[in-house]
Amino acid sequence: MLELKNIWVYYDKNPAVRDLSLTVNKGDFVTILGANGAGKSTTLNAICGVVKVKKGKGEIFFKGKKINGLRPPKIAAMGIIQVPEGRKLWPLLTVQENLKLGAYLQKDRQKMKQNMEKVLTLFPDLKDKLHAKGRMLSGGQQQMAAIARGLMADPEVLLFDEPSLGLSPLLRQHLAEIIKEISQHGTTIVLVEQNARLGLMLASYGYVIENGELKLQGKTSDLLKDENVKKAYLGV
Amino acid sequence: MPPAAIWMDGLIQSCIYMTMAFGMVLVFSILGILNWAHGQFYMFGGIVVYYAVAAAGIPFPISLLISAVAVGVLGMLVEKLIIERVNVPIYGPLYVGVATISLIFFFEGAASMLFGMQDKGLSMVYPGVLDLGVFSVSYQKIGVVIFTVIVMVAMYIVLNLTKIGLAIRAVSQEPVAANLYGISVKRISVIVMGIGCAMAAMAGSIMAPIYPVNPFMGRIPMIMSLLAIVIGGIGSLTGAIVGGLILGFLNSVIAYKISYFSEVVLFILVILILLVRPQGLFGASLK
Ligand SMILES: Nc1ncnc2c1ncn2[C@@H]1O[C@H](COP(=O)(O)OP(=O)(O)OP(=O)(O)O)[C@@H](O)[C@H]1O
Ligand SMILES: [Mg+2]
Repeated sequence: MLELKNIWVYYDKNPAVRDLSLTVNKGDFVTILGANGAGKSTTLNAICGVVKVKKGKGEIFFKGKKINGLRPPKIAAMGIIQVPEGRKLWPLLTVQENLKLGAYLQKDRQKMKQNMEKVLTLFPDLKDKLHAKGRMLSGGQQQMAAIARGLMADPEVLLFDEPSLGLSPLLRQHLAEIIKEISQHGTTIVLVEQNARLGLMLASYGYVIENGELKLQGKTSDLLKDENVKKAYLGV
Repeated sequence: MPPAAIWMDGLIQSCIYMTMAFGMVLVFSILGILNWAHGQFYMFGGIVVYYAVAAAGIPFPISLLISAVAVGVLGMLVEKLIIERVNVPIYGPLYVGVATISLIFFFEGAASMLFGMQDKGLSMVYPGVLDLGVFSVSYQKIGVVIFTVIVMVAMYIVLNLTKIGLAIRAVSQEPVAANLYGISVKRISVIVMGIGCAMAAMAGSIMAPIYPVNPFMGRIPMIMSLLAIVIGGIGSLTGAIVGGLILGFLNSVIAYKISYFSEVVLFILVILILLVRPQGLFGASLK
């Protein structure tokens, strides 16, 4: 469904992603692992059109259509939604407004209301916070709200950029369960994590990138047993 | 105490500066640039209304609407054809500054060629005065105040209660997230420039029956609204309203007390305010 073919992404003259290829099938749960600065966020942003794939150096396809070169709102409209690194809620809008705008592209009001209910059953804690401004939430609550906003968009593919960052172990566990549940409902998921264990436990297929290059890929059950992965990412 | 008429005149000026400043700040909060030709959109507002009423005989309220829409569209074109192209990272605000300052001359020149440089006066649309015993006010001026309040309330409703208004605020707060959720920052920029210029046009239109209309009428209101923005705090919409209010009264009262050098005194006062509060009254608390 989503296919990156040998893409290169540059910041000025420095390549941040080099010759990366990656495939995500419908309903898949894929994780991308890598150290700080490996190029994980850049990869997600390339998919969403926030950063450009270098001209003539790689292509991105979604459902058979070439999407690199399209602007981010167009790509969002096709059903690819990112829950970005650092949450990026709209800080001065209320949680409710944040959620509503998550469904900006949803023309069907009825559907929007249904989604709102669904999302609030998934994140009951947000119910009390609907009228609080985004910036008044705690880090964990912000992460919940950011994911809820992503779900409001009713995405076909949901890209998570380090959702567990800064959460307590307990909250991380809760988050993991919620992401699992989203996946079980049929949404295709790409999860970027520095917490490799979490990513590998949740996903069924994994890619490991280093310095912008693909180092390793495979079923997560295999990756968990891989000696290099164990040493470099699992601290065993 | 200055006489009531001076305060009334101050209030009228406040209305112009508020509306102008609000539009300018709105554009600033989305595009990150000041539109230096904002005063010329005000001027076009006055000219369009003048011709609509005096030449075409269209009723004033409808003329005002026509003027707002026409000038709003002009603003959108300027955004799409000029600002969007030069508003590049880092040096964008500088390039946009140069481009819009050039537009001041272009628009004033164009208006002079097309409509002549002489003053045109629109006769009072709502003649008559309201006599309150202590002082009297023309219905025309009451109209200006009511209209300004309506515009401000309408803007409040649009920005807080409509989908497009929320989208506008989202873009000003976190543009990347807006783009990721399908809110096109490019499209919102065009729309906001349209709204901002339409507001300038409305200010120019509503004043047309009170002040003379000519190609250069936008200069003073532009400078005053700039001062209003600085006093209110660059980027704050509330600041634009309060700053506009203060500037209008200050300008009117100072001009009454000291007819010469009144601008000098005004600027000194503004500088004093900024010495006490460099970030303006409402800080740089954007959005
Ligand atoms: N806006 C930018 N301008 C210039 N260089 C950038 C920019 N963003 C990222 N980079 C560089 O690109 C490389 C990849 O960055 P990226 O943000 O994709 O890493 P990451 O894998 O997401 O890291 P982290 O786990 O720390 O979030 C890094 O070397 C970084 O310095
Ligand atoms: Mg990152």
